[in-house]
Amino acid sequence: MSLGHYALRRLLVGVLQVLVVACAVFLLTEALPGDAAVALAGDNPDPARIEQIRRVMRLDLPLAERFWDWLAGLFRMDLGVSLVSQRPVAAFLADGLAPTLVLATLTLLVLVPLAVLLGVVAAVREGGPLDRAVTTVSVALHAIPEFAMAIVLVAVFGVRLRWLPPTAVGVGGDLLRHPAVLVLPLVVLLARPICSISRLVRAGMIEALDSDYVRHARRLGLSTGRVRLRHALPNAVAAAVPQLAHTTDWLLGGVIVVEAVFVIPGLGTALVDAVAARDLPVVQGLAVFFAVTTVLVNLVADVVGFRLSPRTEVVR
Amino acid sequence: MTEPVVRVDDLVTEVGGRRLVDGLSLELRAGQVLALVGASGSGKTTTGLAVLGEAPAGATVSGRVVVDGVEVAPGRPPRPGAVAYVPQHPAAVLNPVRRVGGVLREVAERHLPGPSRSRRIRRTTVSALVTDAVRRARLPTGPELPRRYPHQLSGGQQQRVVLAQALVANPVVLVADEPTTGQDAVTRAEVVDELRALAAEGIAVLLLSHDLDVVRALAHHVIVLRAGRPVESGVAARVLSRPAHEYTRALVAAQPHVATVITDRAADTGASVGAESDDGAGNAERLRVDSLVAHHGSGRRRSAVLHEVDLTAAAGECVAIVGRSGSGKTTLARCVTGLHAATSGTVTVDGAVLAPSLRRRSRDDLAAVQYVFQDARGSFDHHRRVLDQISRTAVRLHGASPEEAADAAMATLRRVGLDEEHARRVPHGLSGGELQRAALARALLARPRVLLCDEITSGLDTLTQHGILDLLAALRAESAGTLVLISHDMGVVARLADHVVVLDAGRVVERGPAARVLAEPAHPVTRALLGVPEREPDELIAR
Repeated sequence: MSLGHYALRRLLVGVLQVLVVACAVFLLTEALPGDAAVALAGDNPDPARIEQIRRVMRLDLPLAERFWDWLAGLFRMDLGVSLVSQRPVAAFLADGLAPTLVLATLTLLVLVPLAVLLGVVAAVREGGPLDRAVTTVSVALHAIPEFAMAIVLVAVFGVRLRWLPPTAVGVGGDLLRHPAVLVLPLVVLLARPICSISRLVRAGMIEALDSDYVRHARRLGLSTGRVRLRHALPNAVAAAVPQLAHTTDWLLGGVIVVEAVFVIPGLGTALVDAVAARDLPVVQGLAVFFAVTTVLVNLVADVVGFRLSPRTEVVR
Repeated sequence: MTEPVVRVDDLVTEVGGRRLVDGLSLELRAGQVLALVGASGSGKTTTGLAVLGEAPAGATVSGRVVVDGVEVAPGRPPRPGAVAYVPQHPAAVLNPVRRVGGVLREVAERHLPGPSRSRRIRRTTVSALVTDAVRRARLPTGPELPRRYPHQLSGGQQQRVVLAQALVANPVVLVADEPTTGQDAVTRAEVVDELRALAAEGIAVLLLSHDLDVVRALAHHVIVLRAGRPVESGVAARVLSRPAHEYTRALVAAQPHVATVITDRAADTGASVGAESDDGAGNAERLRVDSLVAHHGSGRRRSAVLHEVDLTAAAGECVAIVGRSGSGKTTLARCVTGLHAATSGTVTVDGAVLAPSLRRRSRDDLAAVQYVFQDARGSFDHHRRVLDQISRTAVRLHGASPEEAADAAMATLRRVGLDEEHARRVPHGLSGGELQRAALARALLARPRVLLCDEITSGLDTLTQHGILDLLAALRAESAGTLVLISHDMGVVARLADHVVVLDAGRVVERGPAARVLAEPAHPVTRALLGVPEREPDELIAR
């Protein structure tokens, strides 16, 4: 099977997966306790007013009918409108996506070269002081949860030393205009993925450097650098690709803890707010969006993985 | 011409007190072929690696190795590219993620003659170097090959790609480690031609082989190694025709030889096997395969491997299935065992039709057909003792208690020439030949009515091969089981088979009594496998 065929088939399966997720999300959110109408009616609500709100929001229609309407909307790329603010759900997505995308892209841009570099350097000096230092630091970093690190960083660099702004309050969605705001969130987002990915690259690199084909490349007179870069590294990186996909997916989902601590109005914040307000269309819309990104990111990762290890016959 | 390209003086390589190579000296001049001959573990590969300036992990090396005027030792390799090395398993040294052409160009870049001029000139020089190397390695020069990944090549092509990589670097010495092991007769003849041409170009060839036919065809000088110690050396023709040392005599005698053995077999089976008695002549027909069709892959990648193959074998008979690699021999055997579900057709043992898939066969049906694999090591669990693994056959297939099973397993192991000491070890502690015996014992313990042996002697040195073949012959004589032998080695076939079935591209192209097929092959494929049509029988030997 050619790569194109494989990608196409995966895409079709992906559409199916997204549909299944959409159905599950709709039913689960409907099963949530609480009611948007009650929440909207304010303190000490009048039952008649709740009824009225229900009618306006079409919450009184049978579940099946609303589900059908919602699904039909999905196919028209219409995610519905917010129960709370009457804004289209797509507008919520667009607002939240910009900061999340900025953070995710910057994180990946730093993450990939740095993690690969650390992995290679550690592997080349396996067992040496540098390798041991990288290993110790990365295992320690990996053990700290995001929120703890975020709070410590804010306390030290934001509040005590005042080197960097502690949060993004007042910046709004336009993070790129204020790069200083991005530094602490980036550090927090990088900390754990850099450990896992550099560990994988290191392990893959050690294995590749010890392989017969690398030994043979040296016999053929190729320089050490070339052997490492062109012969060992592609094999080493292949092992880290699925983990990188996992990280990308995690970043695109809006890392809620990090967004909350640094007050960045990304997708994670949007989701938390919507759940708190029982704003079901927004929750459902975000969940469908996350499903789409997950499917796409994994598809890209598999295609890249296939290019990196052409031996693997594509299965299913 | 006068100064040797490779000179080894009193090489000793020691690992943990055991001497892998013990006092070997040799001289190799440009354009000459020197063969190191010996059983596996005799130190051939270790010597080859010493010329490359490499040693096994933890080895201490003493002695002097000079390659092209440079003294070489572990950690002090020869001039890059000066020594070309083609290992026994070429697939392992090819980078799975790099295309053939990319690596060839990369090596050529590194070995450009003279200082680099403009980029364009460099590029054309590189292309010329690569094309030249590809041609000398007898690979197709079209645009197809450079775009391929190693896994898309056949074993023979992989070997030539490794050779081409080395030739780009313009080597003075070629170390070829078992270049013909596991190859059929046609490919072997090609490899011999290829190496001879390289020697004619002035490259010194160090041939490490246990294949005496190839050594005879190529080598000017021979050194016979036994446990790392040279026992005999001299001009190839003399050493191989009039060996002075008893070990060399044993090696030469153990070589399965088609011509002599055919007459033997004809003598003792000529009466019992009637001409073309393919339909079993009504007597106890043990195995019957009817119009078997098998496919590999699924969907659009599905391809037919076997087309309507028929086969019969009487009780106590030995049928050999021969053919080039990729002709469907192994698939046929796998269908008989039920490891590969046939698309259509039936397999019958003693009149009962077997289910196509192993899973649906009864214990008795499973015991009736046993399979011994080519790769004995791969067919054992590395972490369990040999005896445990073998006795499991009796527990699983005959419902024996563990104690009975262990006793029965030990008895069978003794029958194949292994003792308690071997049985107690894990597979790692056994040599390839011993493990193949253990695999045979495991199959025999099931008391099979049909025993399939898939290339069980390839990859073993001649003496070990000889032992296994003797064993099979003895077993056949005493147990009257039906033996299906899969092989591309006509020497092995001549030794054991009553009937021969020749497969080519999934079709039976010739069949008949072994004596007739081997003596008067009718089909071109059979002739090619016997080495008949392209060359006279002695041409390969005469050089």
